[in-house]
Amino acid sequence: MQPDAARLQRQLEQIVGTEHTLAGPNATVKFGVDGVVPGLVVRPGTQDEVANVLGACADAEAAVIPWGGGTAMGLGNPPRRADVAVALDRLDRIVEFDAANLCVTAEAGVRLAALQVTLAQKREILPLDPPADTRVTVGGLVAANLSGPSRLLYGTARDWVLGMRVALPDGERIHCGGKVIKNVSGYDMTKLFIGSLGTLGIVTEVTFKLLPLPATRAAVVGLFPDLAGAADVVRRTLESVLLPEALDLLDAGAVTLAAPRLGLEAPAGSCGLAVAVAGSPETVERQVRDFAALFREAGGRATPLPDGRSVLAWDTIRNLLGLLPAPPAVRVLCKIAVPIGRTSDLFASAAALGRRRGLPVTVTAHAGSGIVWACYLLGPEAPSDEALADALEGLRREAEAVEGSLILHDAPASLKGRVDAWGKPRDGFGVMTRLKAEFDPRGLCNPGRFLGGL
Amino acid sequence: MIAKPLVDELRQVVGKANVLDSAVDLQLYQYDAYLEERRPDAVVFVHSTDEVAGVVRACNKYGVPFVPRGGGTNLSGGTIPRQGGVVLAMIRMNRILEVDLPNLRARVQPGLFNLELGTALAPLGYQYLPDPASQKAATLGGNVAENSGGPHCFKYGVTTNHVLGLTVVLPDGDVVTLGGKAPDAPGYDLTGVFVGSEGTLGICTEVVVRIVRLAEGVKTMLAIYDSIEEGSQTVSAIVAAGMVPATLEMMDQLVIKAVEESIHCGLPLDCATVLIIEVDGLKDDLDAQVRAIVDLCTAHGAREVRVAKDETERAMLWAGRRGAFGAVARITPSYLVCDGTVPRTALPKVLRKVAEVSKKYNLMIPNVFHAGDGNLHPLILFDWRDADQKARVMKAGMEILELCVEMGGTISGEHGVGLEKIEAMRLVFSEADIRSQVRVKRAFDAKDLANPGKMFPRLEEVRRAA
Repeated sequence: MQPDAARLQRQLEQIVGTEHTLAGPNATVKFGVDGVVPGLVVRPGTQDEVANVLGACADAEAAVIPWGGGTAMGLGNPPRRADVAVALDRLDRIVEFDAANLCVTAEAGVRLAALQVTLAQKREILPLDPPADTRVTVGGLVAANLSGPSRLLYGTARDWVLGMRVALPDGERIHCGGKVIKNVSGYDMTKLFIGSLGTLGIVTEVTFKLLPLPATRAAVVGLFPDLAGAADVVRRTLESVLLPEALDLLDAGAVTLAAPRLGLEAPAGSCGLAVAVAGSPETVERQVRDFAALFREAGGRATPLPDGRSVLAWDTIRNLLGLLPAPPAVRVLCKIAVPIGRTSDLFASAAALGRRRGLPVTVTAHAGSGIVWACYLLGPEAPSDEALADALEGLRREAEAVEGSLILHDAPASLKGRVDAWGKPRDGFGVMTRLKAEFDPRGLCNPGRFLGGL
Repeated sequence: MIAKPLVDELRQVVGKANVLDSAVDLQLYQYDAYLEERRPDAVVFVHSTDEVAGVVRACNKYGVPFVPRGGGTNLSGGTIPRQGGVVLAMIRMNRILEVDLPNLRARVQPGLFNLELGTALAPLGYQYLPDPASQKAATLGGNVAENSGGPHCFKYGVTTNHVLGLTVVLPDGDVVTLGGKAPDAPGYDLTGVFVGSEGTLGICTEVVVRIVRLAEGVKTMLAIYDSIEEGSQTVSAIVAAGMVPATLEMMDQLVIKAVEESIHCGLPLDCATVLIIEVDGLKDDLDAQVRAIVDLCTAHGAREVRVAKDETERAMLWAGRRGAFGAVARITPSYLVCDGTVPRTALPKVLRKVAEVSKKYNLMIPNVFHAGDGNLHPLILFDWRDADQKARVMKAGMEILELCVEMGGTISGEHGVGLEKIEAMRLVFSEADIRSQVRVKRAFDAKDLANPGKMFPRLEEVRRAA
């Protein structure tokens, strides 16, 4: 904390109110990031208050850590400093739901699941489905660029954000984009802030494009004796005209977690493949039929799940890794991103790493999107940080060899000291550094957590 | 004029024959599809990323501005070299470098015409979705620079949703690869920032795009109305019914007449408006979707709905739509295309206002637009030789944009800001908003050499800083 801490506290209390300012380690410890605990926590109630808080912090040279639902606070490197945590939970208003024009504007603290409930009342949906959507906030979804299985058909935040309001590090408020679905007025500034992890300012409000709720849904879950059969179905699906919403691979660990919850009996060591389809009854029925046939031809056992059961099943699959012991239990959660056609290779390598090192491992993959999630539990038998770092760097090299990446979504701080959460910066880092310098010249927003220490 | 040593260096980079600097040659590169002109000092034909980097480095060394140019179809003056300097003609970098089916990506050079990519992919059963109406003559590099739309973006999104990686020559001559075949690259989404930056952040020399399978089935309909109001209400009704057609396009009577006279595609001359509606996807429910849409059209006053029976009939309907701008150009020597965009439900009101503006300024304004996206294209017709008319056109255009913004819309849906809408930026953005965009410009282009004088109105602070 800076020497003028008491002064800053008074200023922040004036902005957000004493009752929304927390001080002292007992109150602020749960807002720590990788063990770095802020001296103050403020809970602004309006977007102007967020901007004013940032302005005051900038004047005091205080480092700011934005907090949404907290589901992505393990993402990235440990912060260099944390003076003030800005909790956005009080920004929980849905500003405008324009159902006739398929768009909604919500403040940063609105929980995704709560937003979906409102949208569903008018039979609409925001087709972004990261895990833990009861906790994930609109702002966190955007800042951490969170996504889920249905990115296969619908894409990610960059495809659904029409506009946003941002409080910049110097306390200025700006808006980007708008509420129309085509907009080339000026730079597409929304892209700059999506995935920027709060390092260029705090997103205070987001406008999303929406879809009509599909009339029907269904799922097909297949169990295969090994990865080869499941990977074959993935390949053939991507070559086909079929349009599944999601196509997730589950390794043996994931199948063990999922099977009882889906009412399936899985032979030990099975590899799973789950498909979600949505749309009119005619197309859903046809896709269920086609997928069941594809699964059988590849040597799998297919279980079709009708509408109601399929939604529950996907809720389970999406949140599978959340069923594992969560922090403070010690785990490493990595996200690997590779070209679509390499997904099953990296899926296999991530699972093999666990087996080779004797680590309990659970791996899932959004197989049509090139995303692999691997979760390793670090029990008392776990290898040293050094050995683990070595193994993860090996896996990262494999991803990078095919133009991909491996990032740490969650890991003990001691391990993050040895493995950079993002890997080495690549092309374009010069421009990124200059962007950071333009928007946050004193490096006060989430300092050090992002790529290359930005 | 630019210094002789720079011209010599350019000749060294690309070869003597690829540098044009005679007055006659330069004249051909002083305009695009907008209304203003400015002659460049040199035009350079480039053939590789290395050549582009060489040209940009030379320009940077001498502090000379540069502007990349693709097909020159730009409607907002984006390719006009406002401050002179060097125009890089990208048109010979027109190869498809790779079609990567297992990864569902293609890697192309920026001078490739949009339609050429589609033509190459179709026999393989694949497509690249963004399809600006000018796709025959518009390049993919230009599409990237403008974040182009097209009739299919209501369902499938615009260029930015389909561009996943870029090779970019930065304004200092450095070559960087942004994004790529793998998703979610760590760091800021510079690919997303670059798309739609109108040549002001650098020059892209390779583009990685998403390709998808051709839809299993497509059905195209033409709904004919005696009132424009009923046509635009149908659009909202279709969306309200939970349907997402691939296209919802609209043309009014003046456009229909112009199109019929030039293309003869069988449009009725006595109607007020037509809607071109297309549904695509898995074939199982397409007939049911067509029935539902025909019913909605009829319920909202369509006097007739034709469903294209085969590919020939479908092609005919699209030829009419795609040829609309060209056909309208036969009526008067010039037109100004407005590109304002509004929330879809505001369409009927905006169209009424456009008709009022037409009367007020005594100008003919045919309308052709992407109704599903709320993206209007009123074409304000005039004769550029008549200064008084031109002044009225500019006022009418601004009035329409102001109206769009008032309705919760914006000043440009797909044609860009360029030279045309610099002052209109103030209608949608505050000083702080614009200042934040200028920060992005500075981070990429500290010397302000990449297509300078575009997009941003002059800010007090910017003036002081300069």
